[in-house]
Amino acid sequence: MMCENQPGTLIKLDLGSLTQAAHDAVHLLPCEIQYNGHAAVDKYFIPTIHQGASAKEVSFRGRPLKGQEIKIPAGYVGLVLEENHKPCSEEKGRTVCMKSTFLSFTQWNLETLPSADDCAVMSLMWPKISKAIHQPVDNEE
Amino acid sequence: MELAPFEQKNWGSSRLSSPVPPLCRTQQCCLGIDEAGRGPVLGPMVYGICFCPLSKKQDLEELKVADSKTLSEAERERLFEKLDSLKEYLGWALQILSPNVISTSMQQRVKYNLNALSHDTAIALIQYALDSGVQLREVFVDTVGPAEKYQEKLQERFPELEVTVKPKADALFPIVSAASICAKVARDYAVKHWKFLEDLEDVNLDYGSGYPNDPKTKEWLAKNLDPVFGYPQFVRFSWSTAQSILDSRAVPIRWDDSDGHEKASSKGSQSMLAFFGLKKDDMRRPAHRFFQERKLETARDL
Repeated sequence: MMCENQPGTLIKLDLGSLTQAAHDAVHLLPCEIQYNGHAAVDKYFIPTIHQGASAKEVSFRGRPLKGQEIKIPAGYVGLVLEENHKPCSEEKGRTVCMKSTFLSFTQWNLETLPSADDCAVMSLMWPKISKAIHQPVDNEE
Repeated sequence: MELAPFEQKNWGSSRLSSPVPPLCRTQQCCLGIDEAGRGPVLGPMVYGICFCPLSKKQDLEELKVADSKTLSEAERERLFEKLDSLKEYLGWALQILSPNVISTSMQQRVKYNLNALSHDTAIALIQYALDSGVQLREVFVDTVGPAEKYQEKLQERFPELEVTVKPKADALFPIVSAASICAKVARDYAVKHWKFLEDLEDVNLDYGSGYPNDPKTKEWLAKNLDPVFGYPQFVRFSWSTAQSILDSRAVPIRWDDSDGHEKASSKGSQSMLAFFGLKKDDMRRPAHRFFQERKLETARDL
């Protein structure tokens, strides 16, 4: 991957661990958590999810969320990446490691019922459209 | 007291009720409403109703049910057992609003305040009694807010009933005292036996009374804060006591619907020089609407 902002700086993606990487449950929340690091998701979040009348329900910081499971398009895989050591100088190349992979994730809306019009669902249409646009046409009629 | 239906779903709102005495379906009745656990920052709020035939008012008075706050916990429990045993003429029902329901209602996009939530709960309980065939005539309600407005609201909703809303009604009318005892016993039981849904191995349960001004409660809130999730659902996030700890000590959260989420377009005081500089972003053609709407961007940096 090339960084356009810093021409010449390479970010290396270490795919060596792809096959043995664990599957992780991934949740997409309708808010920005201004923090990077460990979060006690297994303690606080997962055990409080329950099936509501028409969607999965949970609350975060006392606000009501409604969610749906979204599958990653066939042929694709979701990756959770981790950069263990940020290099001290900008010239040095960076290495990003694979932490885990996922084939689906839960997308949560604030109060509103999840639907096919949600941004996350619509954005995953891109691989299909992209293929239709870019695939070489091999047969001239 | 058995609260199983609530305990199985302690993130929601549950109704528990006694069987309706047949006498209440044939004779004109009075009904009392009171609440327990309105103030605390922890645990559920419970609304209780009790009803009996007007002809049994005297019997109730002889039971010496008093305002639940003046009784000890043991006395309240004993009185609840007594009330519950009067199955031939006394009925009760409870609505238990979990702290999660309180937090999420009050913090909805369209705020649903505690008074409105209380009023709607009381109205639903009166409606429940009517739907169960109780021949209601008089309704007595304890109030914390302005009594007059609340009385008007209830009277308008139930024009066929005689509604009396009064502060300290739980000390004035035995049927309200009875309702107050049911509510308070349920609230105490729910707090004491709270099953944390969260996987907290050794949560310290020494949280005092749950009232925001109790030093023990304050200490518990300060000690049991998770930087990301804040608190277990046992805590009412919408209480200012909890909010101020979250604001000052937890990780900041910006919600999609919060004010100022729109990218701060600080056009107001832009430097003159800014117009002459070469801006990288401006050179780039904006992405097609398709990508903008889906928040799709080319990864440029990590």
